[in-house]
Order: sequence, then structure tokens, then C-alpha cells
Amino acid sequence: MEETSGFRKELVSRLLHLHFRDCKTKVSGDALQLMAEFLRIFVVEAAARGVCQAQAEDLDVVNVDQLEKVLPQLLLDF
Amino acid sequence: MEEVGAEEQQRFCQRQRLKAAVHYTVGCLCQEVASDKQVQFSKQTIAAISEVTFRQCENFAKDLEMFARHAKRSTITTEDVKLLARRSNSLLKYITEKNEEIAQLNLERKAKKKRKPEDGNKDSLEPDVDVGEQ
Repeated sequence: MEETSGFRKELVSRLLHLHFRDCKTKVSGDALQLMAEFLRIFVVEAAARGVCQAQAEDLDVVNVDQLEKVLPQLLLDF
Repeated sequence: MEEVGAEEQQRFCQRQRLKAAVHYTVGCLCQEVASDKQVQFSKQTIAAISEVTFRQCENFAKDLEMFARHAKRSTITTEDVKLLARRSNSLLKYITEKNEEIAQLNLERKAKKKRKPEDGNKDSLEPDVDVGEQ
């Protein structure tokens, strides 16, 4: 299940290489796989915290407002 | 002058493509969370999470690069990724466990690769045995 909907290794690699200052920087295969999991957790955590906020406000839909409220803490945790 | 513009254009296109890929992945993940918790995500929320993720990648990439350089390496390893997860205890614990899991899996895969040639020989022998029995 994780394989089907997580981040693909190739995408993670390209995302990282986009921002490297030194083009000689490389990423090991294991690190890529772990980084893909790290990004997956980031997204799932953002979604889950959004859901919590929506439920606290008695809403059925997570809107940007709910995300805005949980975003500061999320960014402090990652 | 024109060449510089073309290069810029290409870089922009590359960025957009990556953003689209991130957006797709975030959409899938949000769908899973939504069906799990029976709450919907608005399209804007998914787009916002994608944008945040894409921009966080810049921080992650720069941190990882610095960590590797600090360790006098040019290759980013799982140790650097673990350091990236330092801010939250439970996240660090989870990432460390996942790291061990991945290492274990890769070890098993390597062991299988070594064993595979033997399996291949067995497979090629088996039909012969069957024919002999018939």
C-alpha cells in the first residue's frame, strides 16, 4: 500500500537535486527510500492534523482555514 | 541573452512538473486519510499541502546537504535523514525504526539475488525431471 501511494524514489531524488547548491552532492539509495518515507509522514501528518482541527470545529470538510491553524506547529515539528 | 531565457524557461517547466508530481502524490495520500477518517479535503487544502511540501523540500535538501558536508561526505546517507528528524522525538524514533527496516529488507534482497542463480538452475532442471516421469 505504501508503495502505491507514497513518494517515488525518482521524484524524491529530483526534488532534492533541485535545491542542492553543490551539484556534486549525491544521495544514497537507502537515504532516498528513508526520505520518501519522511515526506510521506509529513503529508499524512499535515492531513491528519487538518482532520483533527476540522473535527474540533464540527466540520465534515477540511478547508484551508483548518490547515492554516495547524500549519505553524507542523512546520516546527519537521 | 535568448539562451539564458530558454534555460530559465526550462527550469521553470521542470519545477512545474515536479510540483504536479508532488500534487498527485499528496492527492493520493490525502484520499487515504480521508477514507480512513471519513472526512473530505477541499481541493484548495490539497493544493496548499502540496505547496507546503514542495517548499519544505528546499529546507530539507539544504539541511541534508549541510549535514553531509559537515560529516565531510559528498553523499547523503540515512544518518543525515535521521538528523533531519531531530525536532520531534516520536518522529526520530519512527524514522530510526524505518531505517532499520529498510536496511534489513535490502540485506534480504541482496541475499536473494545471490541465491537466485541457483534457483534458476533448479527451475531448468525440474521440467526435465517431469518429462522423465511421464
